Amino acid sequence: MIELKNIVVKFDNFTALHNINVHVKEGEFFTFLGPSGCGKTTTLRTITGFIDPAEGTVSVKGRDITHVAIEDRNIGIVFQSYALFPTMTVYDNIAFGLKVKKLKKAEIDRKVREIAKKVDLSDEQLAKAVSQLSGGQQQRVAIARALVTGPAIICMDEPLSNLDAKLRVQLRNELKRMQKEFGITTIYVTHDQEEALTLSDRIAVFNKGYIEQIGTPNEVYNHSKTEFVCNFIGDINRLSPEVSRTLGADPKQHNYIRLERIHVNVEPKATDVVLEGTVESMEYYGLYIKYTINLGCQSIKVIEKNDGVNIYEPGQRVKAVLNPRDVMAYPAEEVAK
Amino acid sequence: MSRREPIRLGKNTIIKSVGFLLYIYLFIGFMVVPCFNTLASVFSTVKPDGSRDPWAVIRFFFAGNMGRYVLNSLKLAVGLVVTVNIVGVSIVLLTEYFDIKGAKILRLGYMTTMIYSGVALVTGYLFLYAGDGIITTQLLKIFPNMNKDWFSGFRAVWFTMTFACTSNHALFLRNAIRGIDYNTVEAARNMGASPFKVLWKVVFPTLMPTMFSLTVMTFITGLCAMSAPTLLGYDSINPEIVRLAGSSVADESFPQARAALLSVILAMFTIVLLTVLSSYESKGHYLSVSKTKAKLQKQKITNPVANVLAHIYAYVLFVIYMTPVVMIVLFSFQTYKAIRMRTLDLSQWTMLNYFGSRDYEYLTSRGTYKLRKGAISGLFSNEATMGGIKLSFVLSAIAAALACVIVVVACSYIFKNRKKLSGKVLEYSLLFPWLLPTILICYSYRTFFNSESVFYVGGKNLYYAENVRLLIVMAYTVTKLPFSLRMIKASFYAIDEELEDAARNLGSSPVWTFLKVKLPIILPSVLAVFALNFNALFTEYDMSATFASSYGTTYAMIIQSMCAEEGMYGYNVNASGRRCASTVFIMVVSGIILYLVYGVGARDLGERLDARDRRRKRMERITGLFSRKKAEVKV
Repeated sequence: MIELKNIVVKFDNFTALHNINVHVKEGEFFTFLGPSGCGKTTTLRTITGFIDPAEGTVSVKGRDITHVAIEDRNIGIVFQSYALFPTMTVYDNIAFGLKVKKLKKAEIDRKVREIAKKVDLSDEQLAKAVSQLSGGQQQRVAIARALVTGPAIICMDEPLSNLDAKLRVQLRNELKRMQKEFGITTIYVTHDQEEALTLSDRIAVFNKGYIEQIGTPNEVYNHSKTEFVCNFIGDINRLSPEVSRTLGADPKQHNYIRLERIHVNVEPKATDVVLEGTVESMEYYGLYIKYTINLGCQSIKVIEKNDGVNIYEPGQRVKAVLNPRDVMAYPAEEVAK
Repeated sequence: MSRREPIRLGKNTIIKSVGFLLYIYLFIGFMVVPCFNTLASVFSTVKPDGSRDPWAVIRFFFAGNMGRYVLNSLKLAVGLVVTVNIVGVSIVLLTEYFDIKGAKILRLGYMTTMIYSGVALVTGYLFLYAGDGIITTQLLKIFPNMNKDWFSGFRAVWFTMTFACTSNHALFLRNAIRGIDYNTVEAARNMGASPFKVLWKVVFPTLMPTMFSLTVMTFITGLCAMSAPTLLGYDSINPEIVRLAGSSVADESFPQARAALLSVILAMFTIVLLTVLSSYESKGHYLSVSKTKAKLQKQKITNPVANVLAHIYAYVLFVIYMTPVVMIVLFSFQTYKAIRMRTLDLSQWTMLNYFGSRDYEYLTSRGTYKLRKGAISGLFSNEATMGGIKLSFVLSAIAAALACVIVVVACSYIFKNRKKLSGKVLEYSLLFPWLLPTILICYSYRTFFNSESVFYVGGKNLYYAENVRLLIVMAYTVTKLPFSLRMIKASFYAIDEELEDAARNLGSSPVWTFLKVKLPIILPSVLAVFALNFNALFTEYDMSATFASSYGTTYAMIIQSMCAEEGMYGYNVNASGRRCASTVFIMVVSGIILYLVYGVGARDLGERLDARDRRRKRMERITGLFSRKKAEVKV
């Protein structure tokens, strides 16, 4: 569907993107994930044409669009700030792209109302000014505006980052529902790993202008290809050489294990290893409890579902049970990168 | 973000070179060359025998009394810095910082200088305080020994301008004091500081940058004062330049070179002061560090004596500000007889100073009666006044619009090329006229284009006959460029760059994006700048007085001349009344413009839609009332 081949982007002497290769399939929800300044937005802007790559090609459905003008690309975009035109009503904002295409008035009206219904905007809201809408409503306008012209692809640049935490979760679900409904190929940029994991079909993890890994949320989370990815996504324990040795892992490597893969005071299975330790502290989250357990040579963090029965107080001796198969190992020299 | 498209590049190159040539033509031709000509004329005095004497004017300056004009201007500037700052700070503190009863009304009074200024204000003061003025006449009844002509010369100019030049304080210092984080005041109070201590130690230091700017601006205003010294008779630089410019070699020695020298001296002062100011401003002092600012709450003056004194002071200032306004409004509805007697005649009111005309019979020196047809005429019925209004209206509207168009086009270029040299050069070129006193620009235009040898304007004498109007429009436009640039550039910052991207992404071309997305965003600011430019130019006096052409007699010049010609040979019998009416007219026009700019124009689309909804609901309620009544009747 959309393919980036060997994309290199340079700003003066600074290389923002090194040899980026991505292939997004038709109808896929594809996420660019990474910390700020990693190149994810730059990649997105290269796809939409705001940035000219120094090398490489962008092609959509096999057609090279690397040097096609922005306005002729037929790729919708939802901006972080939404970039809604403040001097126009909601209706005029959505109709803008259609007016540029010089569609007939009746057709514009039909299309605007149709898309407005799909994103749950009432006729009353259509007559309002953008500034009169709430953040969530503004976001829906931005999506409607991007979709109304029937683009082949829609790009979203951190569209939820301007909202408060609760609304963010709510709209995240709505976004997923809409994407499924429209069946449109979506490229989504975020630095929020939870957002990426819940929404995406596949994720590309960016770091310093390189792609570290492309995979499904499960692959990226449970089988992180690089040390950066495993550290960036989710909370994780780095195991000391002593503990690594106990688990039968190579102590020269960097070994990690996720918090929820360690269990406290459970019956060990055949392949499991048991480590004894003392509860150092507990953080109470309601849904779950996070314990820090001192194993003697190092402290590890563990997450236990809050079942209301097994709660361990600081100072208590406990058994940490874990399976050596859950350990993710990376060659030591990778840190240098 | 450059696009590689050879076809567009070709078109771009043509547009760019045309733009570049136009810039060179305008900047060099209408800014650099005329002003340089003025500078050169200082050193090109020709002796009667035909030989050149480059230092003649300089020698004259040091030998004669020309230095007096410079000293007088400096004296006025220094005096004004003291008094304008005292009054300006007072009016802002009294309305914004201290809890004074009736602050809202006081503020309206203190802000009256925003709707009338220049000639209108000076003639208003003259009307009150001159030897035969209303207030002086009344005071003489109480104090028969007082000096009847106290209101003249330096004292009069100083007094008038002290109260006339506080508009900038009322605007900028008010904003600055409102920007103070109230939490800092509370913190100081919490630590035991008294309100005055807080004022001195916490509030004033944050106002220092604004105070510094205002001081420099006031100094320049004093230095470049024109209408007050001219009308009240004070020998400062500007009136002297105008006088010399109209003088000829037959009357005195090298008047033009002397005028040029004076305007160059003025320019040097201005340049130095503004350079100091902008280098100070660019340092960006005293930025507020707090993210959540608390709104300033007014401080009660706890000491009862101080409180009473502050109230008295506030209302005395209010009376000084309001008296001319009230008197002018009242007298504009009085008959010429009452005005001549300088006493209100409460039994007789008339609209004759505004509309209509009447004949006047008077006793000639030969002892016979003579009838002057239409010698008493209203503002809108007097040919000369209407001529002035029309001319000022047209010239100001054209110049105000031209300045806006030039600046909008330039700004969109400057913003695209912010980091390039070309963008900066263009910006500084537009700010350049700010460095020069308006009088220098006008004087330069007057002398340089008063010749048929300027090839780039088609060899036409632009100072000749009606052509002078073109020259006035040019001077108006040029002098309004820096202000327009500062204001409109700020509005360009409000355009989110993503908006442009969004429009392009939706298929819009750059031109379409500019017209449909960017222009609507900056339009309120552009219209505001247009209105403010128009407001200032409509009653402008200094420039048209410098051109001093009978083809360019603007409204302000008409107002000024009304003073002089009153009642002579039975003409212009109600000149003072008409002048009062003129001032009222100006106040109404300016008031409407300011309301449109700051009241209506500042609303965004949401607020406008809300207002429309409210109007509709109100209408529905009214129509609903009727339909219910009908229903009741039916029952």
